[in-house]
Amino acid sequence: MNAQLRPLSLLCELTYRCNLQCPYCYNPLDLRAYRDELTTGQWSSVLQAAADLGVIQAHFSGGEPTLRPDLVALVEAAAACGLYTNLITQGTFLDDELLDRLVDGGLNHVQISIQAPQAPLADRIAGAIVHDKKADALRRVLTRDVALTLNCVLHRLNHDSIEEVIDYAQRLGIRRLELANVQFYGWAYRNRGALMPTLEQVRHGEDVVAAARERLRGSMEIVYVLPDYFGDFPKPCMNGWGRQFITVTPNGYALPCPAAAGITTLAFENVRDRALGEIWCDSASFVRYRGTDWMPEPCRSCERRELDWGGCRCQAYLITGDPGVTDPACSLSPDHAAIASLREETSGAEPVYRRA
Amino acid sequence: MKPTAYPRFGKGVKLRHEGNGSIMLLIPEGALVLNASAAAALELVDGTRPLAEIIAAVAEQFDVTADRAGEDLSELFERLEQRGLVQ
Ligand SMILES: C[S@@+](CC[C@H](N)C(=O)[O-])C[C@H]1O[C@@H](n2cnc3c(N)ncnc32)[C@H](O)[C@@H]1O
Ligand code: SF4
Ligand code: SF4
Repeated sequence: MNAQLRPLSLLCELTYRCNLQCPYCYNPLDLRAYRDELTTGQWSSVLQAAADLGVIQAHFSGGEPTLRPDLVALVEAAAACGLYTNLITQGTFLDDELLDRLVDGGLNHVQISIQAPQAPLADRIAGAIVHDKKADALRRVLTRDVALTLNCVLHRLNHDSIEEVIDYAQRLGIRRLELANVQFYGWAYRNRGALMPTLEQVRHGEDVVAAARERLRGSMEIVYVLPDYFGDFPKPCMNGWGRQFITVTPNGYALPCPAAAGITTLAFENVRDRALGEIWCDSASFVRYRGTDWMPEPCRSCERRELDWGGCRCQAYLITGDPGVTDPACSLSPDHAAIASLREETSGAEPVYRRA
Repeated sequence: MKPTAYPRFGKGVKLRHEGNGSIMLLIPEGALVLNASAAAALELVDGTRPLAEIIAAVAEQFDVTADRAGEDLSELFERLEQRGLVQ
């Protein structure tokens, strides 16, 4: 394999357990299959192996990573390997004690998500009464020596509150806000009829973000993740399959992307059976769609092929059944019509809450 | 940023030394690859040195005039300050 390829980022999905039930969650539907979680020692070896491969950032996510009693120990292990450490959490367990231990352990960055900027709606989406707790967690993080990003996933049920999300962030003094349009994997794909934003919402969101960026220049950075089904070209998913990112699932499977486990035509390998470095370099699952050699037309002869790497393999699989075709989100894909019909599938269906 | 300011890193910002001698600036959700003079300057950022002193040290190290180094580095610090990476 190409010796120059070096992974930059490791996503540790420590557990899929969670006390919330967001219907937009990209976690897989078969949550029960992941209960046999890696031990502290196994995760520590994964972190060391990743650092040895050249990884610079370790992200701790899930599920809800703060449900793992060894979270602090794992942050310490990552910091000891020289990794930049990021905790991705919904914040309901971030009390003073845990936060102090995490920061003392070397945590560099926390990302806290809210479901909406106001309590009744946020709690309805989360399936639990938690919204007010999160403002406390955010305030707590702001007083400590750790960077903070506020994240809100946008979809049809909360998109009209986008302006209020920005106000909410501004009131708290947040410096970095990520407004991420829902990506349709896992539970979100299942709930796409209920979550698909309307075209007006998406356009309005773009206008609001552009105006807010102008107004808040120098005081707040706003990252706006575009919705998948509304553009002409696909996202450069993971910056290319098996090029920069490794995800490890709670039970130890190494994946090129957090949604990849859904691709049943690929055999993924487990860090319990094989060293992470070998999986990265040689596993058929990582090699299969790496680079451009695997590409069919229209990607193969397209000048954008090293810009977007043919888009997302998981999306190609979910929509066409074949992970090896051009992402249907691309307007040049022969399957692009399927995206248009999904986009219009804004049924009034009630969302199904995430559950094990 | 004024030459009399005492720059320090924002939260969640740190330098990383690579095996091959190059230096990166790790920031929330990303990394910036630094050229040699930017790396030398940022290695001196610790909140105790004024920007003017950092510029003078880099100018000496790279054997350029302080004006020349000042131009490049002021712009770098300006950009980092805008993004909250340096205060
Ligand atoms: C799966 S969550 C796990 C961490 C934690 N439970 C939380 O929700 O913050 C990881 C991150 O992805 C976001 N997220 C979840 N589902 C998403 C989706 N379908 N599209 C985009 N972002 C999503 C969450 O808001 C969170 O920032
Ligand atoms: S997105 Fe919601 S349901 Fe999914 S892990 Fe995070 S908090 Fe839990
Ligand atoms: S044809 Fe392939 S490479 Fe070209 S823009 Fe579409 S997805 Fe990207």
